[in-house]
Amino acid sequence: MTDISRRSFLRGATGATLALPWLEAPAAALGRLAKSPAKKMAIFYVPIGVVRRAFFPGEKEATLPKFRGFDEKNRIKGIQYPSGFSPIEWTPTLGPLKELQEHITFITGLDRTFQSGTDVHAQCASCFISSAAPFTIKTSAWPLDRTLDHLVADQAGKDTPFRTLEFSCNSHKDNKESIYFDNISWYGTGHVAPSLRNPRAAYRRMFQTSGNSQLRNITDLVLSDARSFQRELSSSDRHKFAEYFDSIRAIEERMVKLEKMRGELQKTPLDEPAEAYLPRGEYIRLMGDLMVTALQTGLTHVATLMIGPERWDTPYKYESLFDKPRNHHQMSHNQSKFVEDLEKVDHFHMEQFAYLIRKMSAVRESNGTTLLDNTILTYGSGLGDGATHQYTKLPIVVAGGRGAGLRPSGKHLNCSDGTPLANLWLTQARAMGLELPRFADSSGPISQLLG
Amino acid sequence: MQKTALLSFSILALCLGLAPGALAQGDAFAKLIRPTFSKSCVKCHGKGTKVKGKVNLFALKSAADLAKNPELLEKLIEALASAEMPPEKEPPLAAGTRKGLVAELKELLRQAVGSQKSVVRTPIRRMNRFQYNNAVKDLFQLKVEVFPLPEKMMRDYGYFKPETGKMEPKVRVGSRPLGKSQLIEPRLAGVAPFPQDPRAEHGFDNRGDHLSLSPLLMESFLKLSRSIVNSPDFNTKRCGIWKSFFLEPKKAVRAAVKARLRGFLGRAFRRQVDEATLDRYTAYAGKQLDAGRQFTAAMRDVAAGVICSPRFLYLRERGDKGGDDYDLASRLSFFLWGSIPDKPLLDLAAAGKLREPEALVRQVDRLLKDRKLKRFCDSFPSQWLQLDRIISVIPERADNQEFFFGPYRASMHMMLEPLLLFETVLIEDRPITELLDSDFSYRSDLLENWYKGGKAGGPPTAIPFKRVPVTDRRQGGVITNAAVMTMTSSSTHTKPITRGAWLATVIFNDPPEPPPADVPELPEKPVKKDENLTIRERLAAHRDRPDCAGCHVKIDPLGFALENYGPTGLWRDKYSNGREVEPGGTLFRKYEFKNIIEFKDALLAEKDRFTRAFAGHLLSFALGRGLVAADAPALDRIAAASIAKGYRMKALVREIALSEPFLQNSLKKAAD
Repeated sequence: MTDISRRSFLRGATGATLALPWLEAPAAALGRLAKSPAKKMAIFYVPIGVVRRAFFPGEKEATLPKFRGFDEKNRIKGIQYPSGFSPIEWTPTLGPLKELQEHITFITGLDRTFQSGTDVHAQCASCFISSAAPFTIKTSAWPLDRTLDHLVADQAGKDTPFRTLEFSCNSHKDNKESIYFDNISWYGTGHVAPSLRNPRAAYRRMFQTSGNSQLRNITDLVLSDARSFQRELSSSDRHKFAEYFDSIRAIEERMVKLEKMRGELQKTPLDEPAEAYLPRGEYIRLMGDLMVTALQTGLTHVATLMIGPERWDTPYKYESLFDKPRNHHQMSHNQSKFVEDLEKVDHFHMEQFAYLIRKMSAVRESNGTTLLDNTILTYGSGLGDGATHQYTKLPIVVAGGRGAGLRPSGKHLNCSDGTPLANLWLTQARAMGLELPRFADSSGPISQLLG
Repeated sequence: MQKTALLSFSILALCLGLAPGALAQGDAFAKLIRPTFSKSCVKCHGKGTKVKGKVNLFALKSAADLAKNPELLEKLIEALASAEMPPEKEPPLAAGTRKGLVAELKELLRQAVGSQKSVVRTPIRRMNRFQYNNAVKDLFQLKVEVFPLPEKMMRDYGYFKPETGKMEPKVRVGSRPLGKSQLIEPRLAGVAPFPQDPRAEHGFDNRGDHLSLSPLLMESFLKLSRSIVNSPDFNTKRCGIWKSFFLEPKKAVRAAVKARLRGFLGRAFRRQVDEATLDRYTAYAGKQLDAGRQFTAAMRDVAAGVICSPRFLYLRERGDKGGDDYDLASRLSFFLWGSIPDKPLLDLAAAGKLREPEALVRQVDRLLKDRKLKRFCDSFPSQWLQLDRIISVIPERADNQEFFFGPYRASMHMMLEPLLLFETVLIEDRPITELLDSDFSYRSDLLENWYKGGKAGGPPTAIPFKRVPVTDRRQGGVITNAAVMTMTSSSTHTKPITRGAWLATVIFNDPPEPPPADVPELPEKPVKKDENLTIRERLAAHRDRPDCAGCHVKIDPLGFALENYGPTGLWRDKYSNGREVEPGGTLFRKYEFKNIIEFKDALLAEKDRFTRAFAGHLLSFALGRGLVAADAPALDRIAAASIAKGYRMKALVREIALSEPFLQNSLKKAAD
């Protein structure tokens, strides 16, 4: 992307420039903007933390942590890295990214604050990208409010068929955990944005446009009924009931937009997935493929992918790693026994992330840049370690995002102790065009990430 | 010992009864509450810098301070009545003081709650998947299911006849999650469900705060509605209202549309439909006819629209804002049938008669005798007992060969035993204490064998279960059965703390804090030096932190009491290392027990507490919300009334329906 087009696109997205005379010809401006690929954003969430010593440079010789609940004094302080950039020291878990160095920045030193009163696993996932600062939500035990992806989509998702897409690689059949363990995307407090777990269902939702006219037929009817129904509701119920209108509106808008894109979509490089059991790696990559395709085709500009639910003590088959089903959560609580296997799981997850980076960097967009260039793609977990359950020193890697003004440094960026993770989200939200004074408990943007 | 326990229980029951505070409010605070707090509590709760458990009793200056905080009052009553506080290492309260204090605090809570102006409302919520299936089935009078429902753990092969008031001595059931082809029930072809709704933590899958809508789900509802009415199975054979609704009338087609819709909408929306709404749907059908659609096709279209309408999809409580008998009718039918009310309920609501206690009780009894009660039995008991946990428990194969047969597992049979016990207690209106200790059970041949140490085997589908007497008191009830014992164990060993937490949550409705997880789970195999320890000793060595003791002193004795039941529920006297199992302990710091039978006696001695706890689970399910402090007085009344009626299950259900939180302002209106 040329400097000029990028700058005008960035400016065009901010309200402050509206007074500029050249923008008074919106049609022309739009025509010009349409040629530059849109800025996109995706989160790759890894559950249950990582084994620190295989992930963080210099911690290799550290003693293995004992199982700990959330307790300030038990957390691993880790290595004190110099502030700012330094070369990446390639640890086993970071290994799969080595060949992709030019696309990433490895970030350490980011923390979240745990708000006691809920399960650590549930909160670390459900509030990972929450826009609420801890202790500010009075109506819920969770410091949870409209999440980063949805705030960003308020702007970036205006013209896409799907404002956002949520994917989750949770194939468990037992219904044992609550929604808080399995969702990082939320419309608002208590209002989950449920994720697509089944690849085939996801595919059909994304690409099927048939039957739309029949749907529209019904939506007209039920919308008029809903309007009169709404008048009978108390104010608090009316507030919640807005979800009905929002949902119908989203569907209607999507139908219109999807129809416009139909020709384009028929060229998608992805076949409909079969209804079959998938080994874990294939499952994660297939959901990743769907996400990449959605971003590539412009079905959405904002997506989240949870590659597994938090806690959920049901064993998975990690075909390529172990011969028997294994329980990630249980292993994380007993590092002294399972550390080697856990490191395999962490490495395996990082390989999937590397797969996505590769895939996105191979997709060319209209002006010669790649899909990765135009997407801020973040790897992260809500726990700094699966055994200590610490919310500090989180494992974070950011890839791509040049088109949004980020600069993949190929380096290790250490933030000073106590830097809120929210600073990263603030940086990304602003790069995506949001004018936010702050995000959750952020103290300021991470300027080193910007180009 | 047993007698003493029973005696002290009856004294306690008297104290915990509804005797109002003996002192005037201000007096009670100055003369009893404050001095007792100062003497026995503030050392840890508020004086100086210590505020344990976030309870600050030092800061309380007047009865009004307490009355402002019903949650704190409830916490205090619970801690004092259960003798949890003051802790063991502190000087105990005199029995009289404790009794007086509890009575005064209860009175304060009653007054505090009574002065609140509005009732606690459950927020507006969509139906969950199970309710949606049932409601659609009932609305169209379908003879088949709408879509497969893993929510239902048991498949009924025709035994469920609540109208007889009797469970047959032999029943045929299937295990849906683990049995063969159990999900393949007759259902509508071409209809795919939306995802199952998760349970709330310590709650049910019908909770208002968990059931919201998203574009993803809304789209499911839109597509579902069309796929239902257009299914090839949606026809005169399987749809009970085909002739009266979908079949083209011989004459006066247009007039028929409106007349038919009036009745249909009334049932779908659970109330008499207003003209504007009726016109809206009639006009829609008319438009389809104008466009040349066949009558039946047009009615399919409009029916699809109706089941996407928020008036169908959403449940709401209007509380003070004009709630009426129609709301009550829905609350009742969704409670016991997981579905929309039928004509008799709607007719009574239309006449404004449902709120009359006699009529209401008659309706509760009628609903309890209807076969649709199966929906209640398919949702409440399995969620109350958290039985879905057994689906994912697979014992280590090498040590448990007898657990496996073909591709099946013994747990397939196990999970049905407590569910059948629950259904029997409900259908036969037996005392709920039999849930703790029953002298009968329903068992398959496999289970009979199993308890004798035999190997699993038998049919994977319609399994015969026989009612068998249980003379060995180590068996009987929902606690010590193989299902619960297996699902609270790991693949190789029992987990006493998990069992204790299960018992505290399920039986006493007092879930421990989420495991602070400050202590690791026991390693699957003991390290060398611990090989000769019992699990109790290993756990003790594991948890020496004083701040953990608070919870563990409560839940551990409950779990250790069950140690004689191995990881697959089989009785054992000794561990594999040769050490004797030590099940003894003390319940609520009051009842000493040496073995599981004495433990059961202790639980039975606390049957009033169990009754209130169980009533709490049931009320929460009935209301679709978590309970709050304001519900405590109602819960006291429900429990007391059920106890007076001999702990009968149906009495308890009736008392729930007659309770203030359930009636909401219907009751207030009736009193006006």
